[in-house]
Amino acid sequence: MKGPLRKAGNSVLLLLAVLVLNFALIHAAPGDPVEAMVGEMGGATPEMVAELRETYGLDQPFMIQLGRYLGRVVQGDLGHSLYYDQPVTQLVLARIGPTLLLVATALATAIGIGVVLGVFSAQRRNSLASHLVTVLSLAGFSAPVFWVGIMLILLFSVSIPLLPISGMSSSTQAATALGHALDVAHHLVLPALTLGLIYLAFYSRLSRTSMIEVLETDYVRTARAKGLSRRLVIYKHALRNALLPVVTFAGLQFGQVISGAVLVETVFAWPGLGTLAFDSILRRDTPTLLGVLFFSALMVVAMNILTDLLYRRIDPRIRTS
Amino acid sequence: MFHKSPKFLSGVLSAALATTFTLSAPLGAEPREGGTLTTFTSGYRTLNPAVQSGAATGQPGSQIFAGLVLIGEDYQPQPYLAKTWKVAEDGLSVTFDLVDDATFHDGAPITSEDVKFSLETVRDNHPFGQAMFGQVAAIETPAPDRIELRLSQPVPGLMRSLQPLLMPILPKHVYDDGQEIKTHPRNMENVVGSGPFMVEENNPAERLTLVKYDGFFIEGRPYLDRIVYPLVKDPLTRVLMLEKGEIDYAAFAGIRPTDAARLERAEGVEMTTEGYGALGYIHYLEMNLREAPFDDRKVREALAHAIDTGFLAKVIFGGRVAPGTGPLHTGNPFYSADVPGYAPDMEKAAALLDEAGYSLDDNGKRFSFVLDVPSWNPQAHGPAAEYIQAQLAKLNIDVELRRAPDFGTWVQRISSWDYDATMNGSFNYPDPTIGVHRHFDCDNIKNVIWSNTQGYCNEDVDALLKAAAVETDLDTRASLYAELQQRVQEDLVFIYMPQDYSVTVSSDKVGNAPDTPFGSLAPFTEVYVTE
Repeated sequence: MKGPLRKAGNSVLLLLAVLVLNFALIHAAPGDPVEAMVGEMGGATPEMVAELRETYGLDQPFMIQLGRYLGRVVQGDLGHSLYYDQPVTQLVLARIGPTLLLVATALATAIGIGVVLGVFSAQRRNSLASHLVTVLSLAGFSAPVFWVGIMLILLFSVSIPLLPISGMSSSTQAATALGHALDVAHHLVLPALTLGLIYLAFYSRLSRTSMIEVLETDYVRTARAKGLSRRLVIYKHALRNALLPVVTFAGLQFGQVISGAVLVETVFAWPGLGTLAFDSILRRDTPTLLGVLFFSALMVVAMNILTDLLYRRIDPRIRTS
Repeated sequence: MFHKSPKFLSGVLSAALATTFTLSAPLGAEPREGGTLTTFTSGYRTLNPAVQSGAATGQPGSQIFAGLVLIGEDYQPQPYLAKTWKVAEDGLSVTFDLVDDATFHDGAPITSEDVKFSLETVRDNHPFGQAMFGQVAAIETPAPDRIELRLSQPVPGLMRSLQPLLMPILPKHVYDDGQEIKTHPRNMENVVGSGPFMVEENNPAERLTLVKYDGFFIEGRPYLDRIVYPLVKDPLTRVLMLEKGEIDYAAFAGIRPTDAARLERAEGVEMTTEGYGALGYIHYLEMNLREAPFDDRKVREALAHAIDTGFLAKVIFGGRVAPGTGPLHTGNPFYSADVPGYAPDMEKAAALLDEAGYSLDDNGKRFSFVLDVPSWNPQAHGPAAEYIQAQLAKLNIDVELRRAPDFGTWVQRISSWDYDATMNGSFNYPDPTIGVHRHFDCDNIKNVIWSNTQGYCNEDVDALLKAAAVETDLDTRASLYAELQQRVQEDLVFIYMPQDYSVTVSSDKVGNAPDTPFGSLAPFTEVYVTE
């Protein structure tokens, strides 16, 4: 019990550090939210500027602002968006769903296809097909994400008009829940593919290397000697162990994938946390940005705990130790 | 003053409105009732134009809220919520009679009290509220359908400020509840407007959908059932969506001149640069006039001779924009081309710099400065800044480009006067008192963005501004503004860059696309789609 408790305590401290550090970093940047707001309004009188600073408490010293903010967070209040004029929690919770859907679909695609390609490539190490998988994977990994996005739009939305260019659903509201789900799925294909392509390369290479390593271990040799079929050896005995590093990296990479989602969401106008974070940076909407960063950190912490649990499930040695 | 039956009035208003639009659908096509127009939004913080300027709020805002008048092609006011008006001979009062039976989207009647409340709200909360209505000394509401504005001095641009973009009619019963109007929750949730369309879905993360208001005060209008504004922030994505027909109509779309050729080739797509005159977006090189070297007019003149804005307009912007000649947009009724010109002449520029005492130093340089490049409108500012850097290098002037990572950083530098020079741009707005005076008025040298941040003060120019602000005779006013344009070009307060490439793209299925000076910021009462 000590372990999980210590982990929970560490997680709380980590989240607090994320908040304080981000608050300080944003505060250190030149300009303040009111200047950005006034710029967007097309100008304002000095009196109006002073009034806005007072309204948002920005006329107070840094430590007072930080103290007030942390005090509210402890009470479960992440503040009020300066741009959307809505509670940050409400705003962020509305955007988490689309981001999780995008990230989970992209990761599932990348891991699913990546592992299949990796296993295939490990079995035919020096074949033409294996080299082709390597080249295609690396191309996907090297290409800038926004470029891949635009290219996919040009191919699948403009040249072959199969998929929508942007957004998460069509403007005409679907009559049924199933219709809406299908509409969202239709819109999800391109952004998820764009994001997934980056990680597909990584997981195919990782599972290939891991599989090659496992295939050369004694227990696999024993399984073969026992006369088990090739299929059984690979998918029952070898793959389970070969998946361990994949699961580890999937957990560790979660935060990175969320960062990647910022660009993908911007290109495809996907209404998730990424676009919210990006817009909040440009607008100096400090409470919203801090809220997004807080929830992102929370998701990464949760993902790490989930990875631990998955690890125990896949590897009985960890479970019993 | 006259009063007519609502039916007759509706006909008059419809006819008046029809004159403010031109046909872009197939010739002879009859306006069709129903249908959906899909446009786009780049994101908005509020739907209430009373507290926010700019196109992002103004485009949907002018559909949700009505104004007292509309502005026609000739910049003359036309009836809208006000069916008639009378200006007193001394120009110090205006009386408006409102149309009968007009209602807000919640069914409550629109009365003179709502108009009074709206005007006071705009005056006190809109960034240009004081410039537009600061001279309104009193507002009388002798009857629910009559309102009288009393002015402390004549305000020649008053009527142009009374259309929906700048003076939306707000429901007093919703907003007058003691809450701060700038952050009032009803600016975004359960919005109750007075215009032809009402909010059906407001999801700023994804889309805004407006639907026809059946109780709109002009009978038989609007034609459209629905206007949809999906959020599309990336200009390139907008181009592709226009090409593919996912967007029917796009104004203020940030389309680059280089992308225009692609759209021109697309089937069923029409483009126009009309409809931007009232806002008049201009670009300029702003120099901090408080400090050397730009406190010396000779240096500014040297730069004006070195920067060939004709080349920028023709080559860099593909010949699709007018070279800037002064503080007024070419679409502004007071625009004058009769201003001092500074022909491209590098030799003269070098001689002027020598005269100003900026000869070559031991390192072969004259001077160096930092040129700030804002993050907004990169398609205009980026190429212009790079061209200026290259041109001035020929004069042995080192220009360091400082690209702002975001809007706030740039605003902070300029509004605190902590800069050498910056690429900049601003809107004229329908009357120079709103968008032009602010840059030259000695009293407006303030730490506020888009004020007189460069620190220019000339008593003669100030006198011109004061005279033009109250001059009611159109010709005399035009001559005052002509002189103003000459004077600021003589003083080289700014070096004007080519005008903005403002273009509206629409599908050929869109009929009566608005092309008045307010363009997409005018109500879409007459717009229809053919399929």
